[in-house]
Amino acid sequence: MIDYISLFQNLSNGILIGAVYALIGVGLTLVFGVMRTINFAHGDFVVMGMYLAVALNSAFGWDPYVALIFAVPLGFMLGAFIQKYILGRIIDAQPEAMMLATLGISLVGANTLFLIFGGEPQSVNVSYASSTVKLGDINISIVLLLAGSITFLVIGGLFYILNKTEIGRAIRATAENRIGAEIVGVNTKKIQAIVFGLGMALAFAAGVALIPVLFASPVTTGASFTLKAFVVTVLGGLGNIGAAVAGGLLLGIVEIFGASYLSSAYRDAYGLLAFLIVLLIKPEGLFGKTVKRV
Amino acid sequence: MKKNYILLIVLLLVGCIYPNLPFAYLTVGITVLLFSGWATSWNLLGGWAGQLSLGHASFVGLGAYFVALGASQFNLAPWWAILLAMLFAGILALLWGRLTFGLSGPYFSLSTIAIAEIFRLVAINEEWLTGGASGVFIDILPQPFGLDFFSKTTQYYLALFYAFLTIGITIYISGRKIGYQLRAVRDNEEAAMAAGINPLNVKLKAFVISAVLTSIGGGIYGIFLSFIEPHIIFNLLLSIQIALTVIIGGRGTIWGPAVGSLLLVVSGEIFRTTFAQANMLIYGVLILVVILVMPRGIVGEYSHKMIKRKYAKRA
Repeated sequence: MIDYISLFQNLSNGILIGAVYALIGVGLTLVFGVMRTINFAHGDFVVMGMYLAVALNSAFGWDPYVALIFAVPLGFMLGAFIQKYILGRIIDAQPEAMMLATLGISLVGANTLFLIFGGEPQSVNVSYASSTVKLGDINISIVLLLAGSITFLVIGGLFYILNKTEIGRAIRATAENRIGAEIVGVNTKKIQAIVFGLGMALAFAAGVALIPVLFASPVTTGASFTLKAFVVTVLGGLGNIGAAVAGGLLLGIVEIFGASYLSSAYRDAYGLLAFLIVLLIKPEGLFGKTVKRV
Repeated sequence: MKKNYILLIVLLLVGCIYPNLPFAYLTVGITVLLFSGWATSWNLLGGWAGQLSLGHASFVGLGAYFVALGASQFNLAPWWAILLAMLFAGILALLWGRLTFGLSGPYFSLSTIAIAEIFRLVAINEEWLTGGASGVFIDILPQPFGLDFFSKTTQYYLALFYAFLTIGITIYISGRKIGYQLRAVRDNEEAAMAAGINPLNVKLKAFVISAVLTSIGGGIYGIFLSFIEPHIIFNLLLSIQIALTVIIGGRGTIWGPAVGSLLLVVSGEIFRTTFAQANMLIYGVLILVVILVMPRGIVGEYSHKMIKRKYAKRA
């Protein structure tokens, strides 16, 4: 006899955590789609978002969710700046140069956070951190529910921008064929700056959404988020936003089920194993449409 | 070729004199030499074969764990433990490479991170095998011919021998058929195949040699640390450090990895008190500078300039 209550409890936790993973993965995949490079600093951008919420909370007593109004535009501007002044200069060099440059940005970012905030893990205490909503016999954590809703809103907004606006059309064109987009008059340099800005804004949003749930520490959390984002995007398929959402949900469910039915010590390993298996059998991802060897 | 061998012998002599100098810091010397060895080994795969691995810490960890567990549980002398680690690393690289070399570009690098992370999780959780998160302590080591492995001088000469060995092998390989095959596969895989080279085979050879050499250094590192913690030895940052050392020094060159290690370890020591645990900041800043200003790395740019000058004279 299967215990249905705990099954559904695990499923709901998995989906909510997966939603946040999806939010992290979407930023990575968006940048990959246009820049054809893996952004190693993505996880550190998430941590920067977390620290921004911590700083705003300790300075002004702001609720982390209020900090979002500030974090998203700031992330966008920082990202556009990094693309314009650092990454944009090497976009035509060897493909690995970009990847290594993002690795450099990751190290500089993480260690700067360390110098500013110190190595102690930090978080924001909110009064509703441990409250739950009951849905039948299933308990749903308020913070996770809020995080999930933020994901839903942000990804919905992103879909709107990509599919209904002129800039979105230019972004999709650049992702599909950069030279072709340039020929029809798209300023691809500007588009790249916008996309990297969007990627960083998404990472900041994810960081702020996560701070009531997780502790931020400068050096280790960044790398583990980057890894999670890789797993999400490769599970789904690099460069495809819908697939990243599916990959995120899948990772959340795999982790929660593995942790509760197998062994919780290996929680991070289940995702990595799934990642390796997908990488070996279907490198284009479970939901990737085209076979693109990059 | 010949020049490189002569330079290597000269550097070996300098290395032998170094511990007797009045200002010698042996631990810094050991760290520089170990990093040179690891970076040179990484370079065979990452520089010569063009396969960017971000998982070499797993081979360092293998070597260190074999030595430590051999000493603390099985009463196994470190040289046998290192031989076993080399064998294990070679087999692992063969399987790992077979599985992952079908993937290209960022996919290969991503898979190396994932495999190294799985190693770290196993080392932390399988307490019966590895001593778990608290690590293993080496308390006793044999003393052949009265040689004390706990003394820093012995460890220094071991590390010196290791760096010498890896650079020597690189010089040897660079002039052989396999060296040319590696470069051909890196620069243009299709063209290499058209010339009758099997790219998978060549990459596998490079990976196995690289892994085996890295595990030797890992064993010496284990003796040097004498206390092994999975968080430190299987750390992603160690893999990144090894890779960046080569890229800053000059990928695909013979002396780049050694120059990179000297620069990075020494500057790390100088800024240790300023940045404390944030010392990876130097790696981050330097890699950005190298990529923006001299994409071939320090030694790479230098030899490129030399070659240009040589041909400019002839013309």
